[in-house]
Amino acid sequence: MNKDMKKTYYLLTIFTVFMFSFSYMLVPLYDIFCEVTGLNGKTNQTKVSVINEQPTERFVKIKFTSTVANSAPFIFEPINKEMNVQVGKIYTTFYTLTNNSNKIKHATASPSVVPSQDAEFFKKIECFCFSQQEVGAFETKELPLQFIIDNELRNETKTLVLSYTMFNTTEQVGLNSENKVYE
Amino acid sequence: MSTDIEKLDDHHHKPSGIMRWITTTNHKDIGTLYLWFSLIMFFIGGAMALVIRAELFQPGLQLVVPGFFNQMTTLHALVMIFGAIMPAFVGLANWQIPLMIGAPDMALPRLNNWSFWILPFAFTMMLSTLFFEGGGPAAGWTLYPPLSLQGGDSMPFVILSIHLFGLSSILGAINIIATILNMRAPGMNLMKMPIFIWTWLITAFLLIAAMPVLAGAITMLLTDRFFGTSFFTASGGGDPIMFQHIFWFFGHPEVYILILPAFGVISTIIPAFSRKKLFGYDSMVYATASIALLSFIVWAHHMFTVGMPLAGEIFFMLTTMLIAVPTGVKVFNWVATMWKGSMTFETPMLFAIAFIVLFTIGGFSGLMLAMVPADFQYHDTYFVVAHFHYVLVPGSLFGIIAGVYYWLPKWTGKMYDETLGKIHFWLTTIFVNLTFFPMHFVGLAGMPRRIPDYAIQFADFNAIASIGAFGFGLSQLLFLYILLKTLKQDVTAEDKVWEGAEGLEWTLSSPPPYHSFEKPPRVE
Repeated sequence: MNKDMKKTYYLLTIFTVFMFSFSYMLVPLYDIFCEVTGLNGKTNQTKVSVINEQPTERFVKIKFTSTVANSAPFIFEPINKEMNVQVGKIYTTFYTLTNNSNKIKHATASPSVVPSQDAEFFKKIECFCFSQQEVGAFETKELPLQFIIDNELRNETKTLVLSYTMFNTTEQVGLNSENKVYE
Repeated sequence: MSTDIEKLDDHHHKPSGIMRWITTTNHKDIGTLYLWFSLIMFFIGGAMALVIRAELFQPGLQLVVPGFFNQMTTLHALVMIFGAIMPAFVGLANWQIPLMIGAPDMALPRLNNWSFWILPFAFTMMLSTLFFEGGGPAAGWTLYPPLSLQGGDSMPFVILSIHLFGLSSILGAINIIATILNMRAPGMNLMKMPIFIWTWLITAFLLIAAMPVLAGAITMLLTDRFFGTSFFTASGGGDPIMFQHIFWFFGHPEVYILILPAFGVISTIIPAFSRKKLFGYDSMVYATASIALLSFIVWAHHMFTVGMPLAGEIFFMLTTMLIAVPTGVKVFNWVATMWKGSMTFETPMLFAIAFIVLFTIGGFSGLMLAMVPADFQYHDTYFVVAHFHYVLVPGSLFGIIAGVYYWLPKWTGKMYDETLGKIHFWLTTIFVNLTFFPMHFVGLAGMPRRIPDYAIQFADFNAIASIGAFGFGLSQLLFLYILLKTLKQDVTAEDKVWEGAEGLEWTLSSPPPYHSFEKPPRVE
C-alpha cells in the first residue's frame, strides 16, 4: 500500500467510527436541538421549583386519562376524570394504583400532554411520575399530582389532556438492586 | 490477438475448484460472487414475496397464519434490500470500477474477499431464525420498538446479522472509495470519470456515513433488550420515537444507496444506444451529489404521523420536495441524451428506457407522500408500498438487470440471446406494472400495509396484483435461463460489444484477461 492509499484508508476508517459514535450522540443531540429551537412536544419530566402563582380569570378544562402498559397486573385510574382549573393556580389531584398480583411490584408512569404544543405550560410541582412506585401484593396506593397551568398557555387552548401510561418495571429494578429479597 | 493475451495471462497462478472462489482476491471473481449471491437472494426474497401475494390473492386467511405473514414481510424486505439489491450493485462495482478507471484491481483485494464472504454467513444466520421456535423477526424491517423488543429469540440473531452485512457494506465502500481516489489511470481526473464511477463514489460515501448509524441504532435495541439500558424503553425514561429518528437518519440515505448506482448504470447505457454523449455530464455529477447531501436532512418525512411540531413537518416536507429538483435534472438529461440520437433498442436499452418512465412514476408518488396533509391519509397504506416498489423494482432492479445485459458479453466473452432478452424485458415490464400499479388504488382507498387480511372491496385489485407478482416471479426464471444459456453457448462476443459504447472496458478483450490493466492505460 502506498502512502496516499494508507491515508485514504485511515481517514475512511476514522469517519466510520465517528458515524457510529454519532448515532449515540444523536440521543442527547435531539433533546438539545428541541430545547434550543423550542420544537418540543415532550412533557416536562422535571420538578418546577420556582412557582410564580398569579391566578388569572381564565379557566381551562383538564382531562385525565390512564393506560396500563403491556397488560401489567395493575389497576390504574385517575380519581378525577376531569377538572375545570383556573390558569395560574396550584391544584392537587390523585391517581390510584392497585397491584393485582401476590408479589411486590415496581411501577413507573410516563406522562404525555395533548395538544403537545401546550406540554411545556403544564407544570408539575409534585408528581408520582418523578419516581419509582413500590406497591405490595394487592395493595392500593393513592398517587398525588400537584400542578399549575402557566399563564403563558396559548389563548386558543380550551382543553388539555394529561395521559399517564403505567409500566411494570419490577424486572428492570431487579437488574439494578437486590429487591429480589421481597419475593 | 485477444486469445494471445488470454494465454499469456493464464500463466498467473490461480487455484482451481472451490478454493479459487474462497481465497480469491481478484476483483472479477469477487464481482461474480457478489452477483450470483444477490441472484440467489433475489429468488429467496422473491419466494417470500409470493407467499405474501398468495395470501393476499383473496380476502380472509387462507394459506398462512398472520404471524408467519409478518415474518415474510419483514424478511422479504431485509433480504431484498441487503441481500439482493446492495450486493448486486457492489458486484457491478467490483467488476466495472477497475475496468472503467484502468486499474489492475481494487485497492484492498483481501478486504474485498473478506467483505464478500461475510455475507453468506450473515444471511444464513438471519434466515435460520425461520426455523426457531417462535419463528423469524416479524416486527417489520424497520424494527420499531417497542414491538421489535418484544420479539422472540430471533431478535438478537437478526441484529447480529444486520451488523455483519452492515460491516460488509462498509468494508466494500471503503474499498471502492480507496480505489476510485487513488488508482485512476493517468490523465483521468475526477471530472473525466465515467458517470457510473461518480455515482458509486457518492454512494460509497453515503454507505460509510449511514450504515454505522444503523449499527448504532440496533446496538441500542440490543442493549435495551438484554442489558437494561433505556434508549427506547418508555418505562425507563426512554423514547420509542427516538428510534424512528435514528433509524430514518440511516434509512433515507439508504434509499439513495439503493438507487444512485442504478442512475450510474442508466447514464452509461442511454448514451451508448443513443450514440450521443451523455447530455449534461457536469450537471449529472452535481445532481447526484446534491441528492446525496439532501438525503441527510429529510429523514422525518417517514414519520409525519408521530406527532411532530408543525414547524418540523413543514421543514421536512419542503426539503423532501427539494429533492425532486436534482432528480428532475437527471430525468431531463436522460431524455435530452436520447433526443435526436440514432437510437437502437437492444435489451439493456429497453430496460433503461423503462427505468426512466417507471422510476419517474415512483418519484411522483414520492412527491405525493412528501406532502404532510396528504401523507396523513397515505401513511402505512398500500400507496406507500406501491411507491417504494416502483422506485426499487423498475428502479434499482431494472438498473441492475440493464447493467448485467450491457456488460455480460464483456464479462463472459459470449453474447446473450437477444430475442430471449427482449421477451424477458416485455414480460418483466408488463408484470411489474400489473403487480404494483393496482397497489396505488387500494392504498388510496385505505388498505393498510403489512396486514394478511383485508376488506372485501379491495379484492379485485389484490387479485390482479397477485397474478402480476406470480408472472413477474416466473419471468425471472427466464432471466436465470438466459444467463445459463449465455454461459454454455459458443457464440463469442466482440471486444467492443456495442457500437456506441465508450470507456476503457471496451478496449479490453471479451472476456477481459484475468489480470487487466497491469500497465495503466493513458487517458487523453
